[in-house]
Formats: sequence, structure tokens, C-alpha cells
Amino acid sequence: MDHMTKEAIRYLGYGKHAVDDKTFALVEDSFRDLEDAAGRKSIYRIFDLQQTADDRFTIGTVEMQSRNLGRYLGGCCRIILFGATLGTAVDRMLARLSITDMAKAVVMQSCAAAMLEEYCDECQAEIAGRVSEEGLFLRPRFSPGYGDFDIRYQAPLMQMLDCAKTIGLTMTDSYMMTPTKSVTAVIGASRTEEKCHIKGCEACEKKDCTYRRDKV
Amino acid sequence: MILDRLGKELLFFDGGMGTLLQAGGLKPGELPETWNMTHPEKITGIHRKYIEAGSDIILTNTFGANALKFHDDSCSLCDIVTSAVGHVKRAAEQAELNGRQVYTALDIGPTGKLLKPMGDLEFEEAYEAFREVVRYGAEAGADLIHIETMSDTYELKAAVLAAKENTDLPVFVTTIFDERGKLLTGADVPAVVALLEGLRVDALGINCGLGPGQMLPILEQILEYTSLPVIVKPNAGLPKQVERETVYDVLPQDFAMTMQKIIGQGAAVAGGCCGTTPEHIKSMVDLCRGMEPLPIIQKDITIVSSYGKSVCLGTGSKIIGERINPTGKKKFRQALKEHDMDYILREGIMQQDMGAHILDVNVGLPDIDEASMMQDVLVELQSVTSLPLQIDTVDTKAMEAALRIYNGKAMVNSVSGKQESMDAVFPLIQKYGGVVIGLTLDESGIPDTAEGRVEIARHIIEEAAKYGIQKKDIVIDVLAMTISSDPEGAKVTLEALKKVRYGLGVNTVLGVSNISFGLPSRTVINANFYTMAMQNGLSAGIINPSSEEMMKSYYAYHALMNLDSNCEAYIAKYAGQAAESSASPAVSGDMPLNRAIEKGLKEEAHHITGLLVKEQAPLDIINTYLIPALDNVGKGFEKGTVFLPQLLMSAEAAKAAFTILKESLAATGQQDEKKEKVVLATVKGDIHDIGKNIVKVLLENYGFDVIDLGKDVAPGLVVEKVLAEDVHLVGLSALMTTTVVSMEETIQQLRQKAPGCRVMVGGAVLNQEYADMIGADFYGKDAMQSVYYAQKLLQNK
Repeated sequence: MDHMTKEAIRYLGYGKHAVDDKTFALVEDSFRDLEDAAGRKSIYRIFDLQQTADDRFTIGTVEMQSRNLGRYLGGCCRIILFGATLGTAVDRMLARLSITDMAKAVVMQSCAAAMLEEYCDECQAEIAGRVSEEGLFLRPRFSPGYGDFDIRYQAPLMQMLDCAKTIGLTMTDSYMMTPTKSVTAVIGASRTEEKCHIKGCEACEKKDCTYRRDKV
Repeated sequence: MILDRLGKELLFFDGGMGTLLQAGGLKPGELPETWNMTHPEKITGIHRKYIEAGSDIILTNTFGANALKFHDDSCSLCDIVTSAVGHVKRAAEQAELNGRQVYTALDIGPTGKLLKPMGDLEFEEAYEAFREVVRYGAEAGADLIHIETMSDTYELKAAVLAAKENTDLPVFVTTIFDERGKLLTGADVPAVVALLEGLRVDALGINCGLGPGQMLPILEQILEYTSLPVIVKPNAGLPKQVERETVYDVLPQDFAMTMQKIIGQGAAVAGGCCGTTPEHIKSMVDLCRGMEPLPIIQKDITIVSSYGKSVCLGTGSKIIGERINPTGKKKFRQALKEHDMDYILREGIMQQDMGAHILDVNVGLPDIDEASMMQDVLVELQSVTSLPLQIDTVDTKAMEAALRIYNGKAMVNSVSGKQESMDAVFPLIQKYGGVVIGLTLDESGIPDTAEGRVEIARHIIEEAAKYGIQKKDIVIDVLAMTISSDPEGAKVTLEALKKVRYGLGVNTVLGVSNISFGLPSRTVINANFYTMAMQNGLSAGIINPSSEEMMKSYYAYHALMNLDSNCEAYIAKYAGQAAESSASPAVSGDMPLNRAIEKGLKEEAHHITGLLVKEQAPLDIINTYLIPALDNVGKGFEKGTVFLPQLLMSAEAAKAAFTILKESLAATGQQDEKKEKVVLATVKGDIHDIGKNIVKVLLENYGFDVIDLGKDVAPGLVVEKVLAEDVHLVGLSALMTTTVVSMEETIQQLRQKAPGCRVMVGGAVLNQEYADMIGADFYGKDAMQSVYYAQKLLQNK
């Protein structure tokens, strides 16, 4: 089973349990449909990072404040703004399935999330390759809404990426991304390679989460 | 006037603005439009450079100047737009003294928001935002409006309507296509061309997204479909990140040489977008100024479109699904009255799955507001199907409401040869675009002869021409009359069909099944008449695509007439069937029903219930098999041995069983048990509704009557529904902290106005503590918990 499939099954709440055949068939089916429907697009821009205090920093003209992000960015000299989406066709497919086949809608939803993460990883690997020429190393992605990095920073972040125009990624008045299967994130870049202290799922405080990757 | 020169001589736009502003000191995150006020000399300077480079049309620095995107309290939108127009005028003064004409184009870019149903922006809100800018620009003296960099046909339509309805200025439009020739929201080239020509813009084309070389194949496609002058404004290549800069690396000379090819291919207006500079424009103008634009060829292609798909009539025969129509359908009428969208949407999805190319939409009932129902149904349908829709109504108010809100170029059913009908319908087609069905009947009724019907068709076409509606946008219905009362009916219809299609040269459509009215085994007659009609030039049949006989005629005809290359569609449809019927059937029927449900076997459950219902009473079946099975699965889910997909597969299987039982109850005149009502809604501002939908499926399974208000639901609407339907339980869902406030607001309003009503909440962001804080009665940590709570509360279980 590949990584993306494993992740989709984790999102469905199976934890360490083996997936049943019918659900597994739906997972495979969903990835096939997604392969046709998904219009993967991404964009990134590199900025100088000016950290003015432990929890304050400036990107362009935008000042941001976050203790968690400040810690994460420690030792970084550049910051990369990143946006990615699977496009509106996936949302329409999910809307359609919600009417005709709710079980598949739920499975498709998880598969889309897994596909999006995989795509972001691919994009990040590519960016890492580019910046390594300048002797820079990337940290893992960090998204608005994570820790105390306020979701409202989504607005300036998306404006600086101009991602409505470039990849069709917009947000609602409540800071939700549309298309829904989308990601925005910042990625720190430093001169020295560091084993990062934040590793997404495993680093989260919520240890009893159904969806936890290292759940035993 | 620019329109006197457009298409007759080559015209040049300017190039990029953003890159130059950044070079001039604009910071990331700073709004470029504010520079109209803070750095007027720099803006005028850039315009002047482009004019000196040879640009005939200069865009105002107003790309992001709309109320939805531009948020800066230091200056008003009106001041921004007015000053921006002034800067171009001032920059042009010197050139105009020298006898050169420079046109000021009010630049309109996208709002940066996604429209409903995929986003949260209302169509009319987008329209208002554009209207405001367009009016400021026109008052300030712009010579034309240039709507550009659009990637969503719906937003595009709002912008064009705002421009056309509020000014008399020429409207130019360019969109961003990707390398596959698609907009970000999925529309292909013919869909965009059809929409824009329908809305009667003056020129259309492509900008941004691609470099000049990559635009060539897209241009080729545009030229294949459009009868308007074409604009091409590429980037200086694809953007690359070098260090911290975004760079475009096509040099001015190379840009100019590709633009020469682009003009040679047929572009009538050329310019540049991101990364292009006055040097790019100068190189292009120097190289191309002497060229003559190619003459514009009128295309004769009938295109209907949706946000993501175009359908061309004229080759082979297309299927227009007739099922979304209450005539003679009790269930459908009931769904309309109860605003049961899911039922209507399922009819649409089913027809698409069966092979329909276009869906007819008729929601006319005596006691409903047809205009608003039509709008609701169209918007909802367009969130689940990409098929173009056919607006079917006799109410011109509903027709206009529908044409306005529809995303694409619709098919319209219908206009007749009656003067009154043409006077009412043609102005709507003229304004919004559309392919309209012309019925061959007039004040004296339906002619008995083919000639008589052809005559009316001719009259319809002539009258349409007075409105500038071309023949390609008329499709004639010569009307099929039942052979049970008119023995010559089929012959006359077929003859008229042939004459209209090949004599008048317009496309045709028929409501095929009328032919057999009053006869037994109607599909026998219908399917054979359908083949005969196709053979006589039927461009599109309005049929029921779930009728196997009709589809057999369709596939066979296309295979026989070499309209189905290598019989591919025919083989794909029928190759598997012979094998399937000889192999052991997938559904055996020897499994107990409760087992089938527990296993989530939908077809099996459906089949077994069909057998059981012949021997046992429906209520016994429910109590013996369905309820125990659902209970088992529910308990398994709680214990962590059954997972969400399995729970839902069982729910779907149970639903399939319930459908049969319901039919059986109805057939014997028995009443379904009275069901308790539950209102469900995803709260205002929240667009994620999968959790709410899961709860809905389960509640329905457990015998609740769910009133689903959908997503992004205003608190007032929830209250209104609760009061109107006397509901005692509401379920609310929210995904993020930003929308929990709407949840709290909804609960408060319910407490005030419907104190007897309980509220259960759920969603990713919630937990017990949070639920208590906002005053909910119950927090459902998963879907089953909501079911148990509802049962305890309303069914005393």
C-alpha cells in the first residue's frame, strides 16, 4: 500500500485497524476519479525574513505575530509563502457524491486530502531542490490556523501570492479556502540543516486524536 | 471611436504594470492602485512610456480596484478610479497633439473571490462590485472597458453584465487559459467564446498565464469558434523564481517575433501582460505595425455551454434529458413543493450518468414562485453537473431570472411563431445570449403540413434576425403530434424536420415521446420514431435517457451512420452486457436482509427487499431486519469495530430497502409512520458540509424527516424554518473557530424565538467545553451520537 493510500485510510479513522475490502475498493476507485478531476496547481514566492522579536516578524510590508511560528522560524533567513489546490472540480465531485453515495463521498474526501498532502510534499521537494543551490535548507510547512498562527494571516499571505489569479485559490469571508481542497503555508529556510522540532501530526498536543499517525 | 478601427486595422495594447511598479518601489503586499493617489507621476510616466512605445490602448491602473478586493481606508474607490483614468488621459496629451489617437481602457480584474456555489460570493454581489467601478470609470471618461485575467465564467458574466447594463462603452474581454486550453474553473475555449458572444462583447481573447509561444495553440482554437476580433496579451514567458524575484525571461525581440506569428494567425489586437515592458511593446509595434489583421470569418456553430463544458449541435444527434419536469410526475411535484433539492438533483445526475448531453429544466407548478425556484434549481444543478442546461418555461419572468443566474450560454425552451412570444423572448436572448428553441406554431395553431411548419420556422428566424440573433442560435422544433389522433402526424413531422434541417439549414429539436401518446407500449413507437427522426436531421432529441430502448436507438444510429468513430461508444456501452447476463448474477438474493445491510450491499438489499415484500408486511420487514441490522452496525461503530465508510454503506443499503418498502406502503394506500422533523444546517460562513450530510443520511435511516437547509445558512433562516415547520430539534455544524460565532448566534436566536427547540452541534472545531460555552443542548462527537440524542429526545428511545 503506498503512502497516499495509507494516509487516506488514516483520515477515515481506521487507526491501526485493517481496512475492509469494500472500503479499500472505494479508496482505489476514488483515487482513480481524483486523478481525472484534480487540477493540481501551486505557487510559491521567496521573501527575506526579518524577525524583530521571538514572536514577531515581517514579510514584505506585512507584520505577523505568533509565538509558535516564531519558534519554528528560529534561525531562518528566508521565508517561502506557498499555496496549492486541487481545483474546483474536486469540490463538485464531492457535492455530487454527497447526494448519490455518502459512503463514497466520505472516502473521496479523505483521498482528496491525502492527495493534496502528497502534492504539497512533491512541490516542497522541488522548492527544496531550487533553494539548495543557494545553500538553503527548508523546514516543514506551517499553515495559518496551526498553533497560535492566526488563521486571519491567510488574507495577506494569499494576497502576496496573488493566488486567486495564479492558481484560482481564494478564501471566504470566514477565512475558509475555496476550492476546499487547498493549502496555504509558510516554509522557513535556513543556512544550516536542522532536525526540526515540529513534525506535523506527531508534534501535536492532542495525543488522543482518532486520526493520529503514531496512535498505538 | 475605437469600434470603427477594431478588426479593420491592427491595434496595440500596452504591457505589464505590476513589474514596473515593483521596480519603482512598490512593496509586496502594497496595493498597486493606491499609487494612483500617492505616486501619480510614476503612474503617468509608465503610461507615457507605453504610448511612446506605440500602444494605442492604455489600461488604467485599476486592476484590483473593486470593493471586494481593494481595502484601503486612506482613499475612496471613486477617487482611485477617477484619478487612474485621468493619468492615462494626461499621459496621452502629447501624443494626441501629434495627431495620434490613444484610447483609455478601464481595466477590470477579478474580485479575488470565488462565486457561489463553489465559493461564498453571491452573483449579484459580484455584479454590484463591478457596477460601481464601471460607473466611476465611465463618468471619468474611459473610452472602453477591458475586463481581463478572468478565470471563472460566472464572475466574467457578472462583470460583462455590469459593463453592458451601466454604460454604452465598448467591452473587451480576455481570460486566462492554461496550456490545456481551460480556465481555472474548467471552461474550455468554445464555452468561453459562446458565453461572451452571447453577451455581445465587442472583442475577446486571452491574456496572462502563458508566454506568447504557448498561446498560439489556444489562439488557434479561439479562432475556430469566434466571429469577433481576437485580443492576445501574453506574459513575457512563464514566471520563474530566481533568488527572491519573480522573473519572466522572454526578451523583447523574441516576444515581438512570436507576436508577429500571432497576428499572422489572426489576432486583431495585441499587447502584453505580466513581465512585458515598454521595450517589449516597442519591439512588437516596430515589427508588426504594417501588418493587416486577417478578415474576420463568421462562424456558423451552434454552441450551448455551462461553466465547464460546451456542447455543439449539428454533428450527430445530441440527447436532451427530459426528466426534470413535474408534468405527470407526482413525486416530482411533491419534491418541488417541499423544496426537496436532492430529489431534483438526483434526477439530473442520473440522466448525466445515462448519457444525456444537455438537461431540460422545467419547474413550473401553479402554486410556486417559478422564477425563484428556477434560479435555485439551476444554481444547485450547476454545483453537481457540468452539463449545459435548457431553461424550459413559458413564464418570461422566470426565463429572465434563469438566464441571468445561469453560468454559461443556456438553451432556452422556447419561443413560438406567435408575435407576442417573439416580442417577449427575443429581447432576453439578445441581452443574455442563448440558443433558443423555436416552436412551429403561431396564432393560427400548428399547421397540418410540413410546408406550413417550415414557413413558421422561416418567420421565427427572420424575426430573430431583427434582434441580431443569428440563425445558429435558433433551433427549430417542428413538433411531434401523436399518431393515435393524427395518422399522418409522424410523416408530416419527419418531412418538416428534413426541410428545416437541410432546406433552411438550422438545427432541430423534438420532444420525441409525444408521438406515441395514447398508445400501449409507447417505447416501441418512441424508439423507432427517434431513429427515423435522427435519420431525417434531428440535431437533438428531448428524451428520457434512462429508457433503454431510446438509448439503443441512439447508439445504433450513431454507429450505423459512422458518427461513432470505430463504434467506440457503442462497444463501450454494449460489449460487456452479453458476458454479464450469462455469468452468474451479481445479486443472488439468498442472503438474509439484515446481513446484506450490515455488509453494506446496496443492490443486494434492494433485491432481497423486493422479494420479501411479496410475502411480509413492510412494517414487519422493518422491525425484523432493518432495525436490528442498523442497531448492530451502530453499536459496532461505537465500539470501534465498524468504521465510518462501512456505517454509511450500511446506511445506503438500508435506504435502498426503505425505498422499496415506501413504494409498497404507498401502493397499498397505507401511510408511512409520522416522522419527527429535524432541521440540519451548516452555519453561516461555513461551506464545509460533509459532516452535516453524514448526520443527515443516518437520521433519515432512523426514521427522521430531515429538513436540510444546506451550507452557509443565516441564523434567521434556521429560526424561520423551525417556526414554520414546528420543529423541536436543530442540528448545527461548523468546521472552524471563525464560524463558531455564527453557531452561537443561531443558538441565541433560537432561544429567543423558539425556546422549545433543542440544539445539537458538531464539527471539527467543537468539543464538549466549546459546545457548553455557546449554549448548545448537546454535543455530538460523531454522527451516531446525534442519532442517539435525536432518538432519546423525539422517539423516547
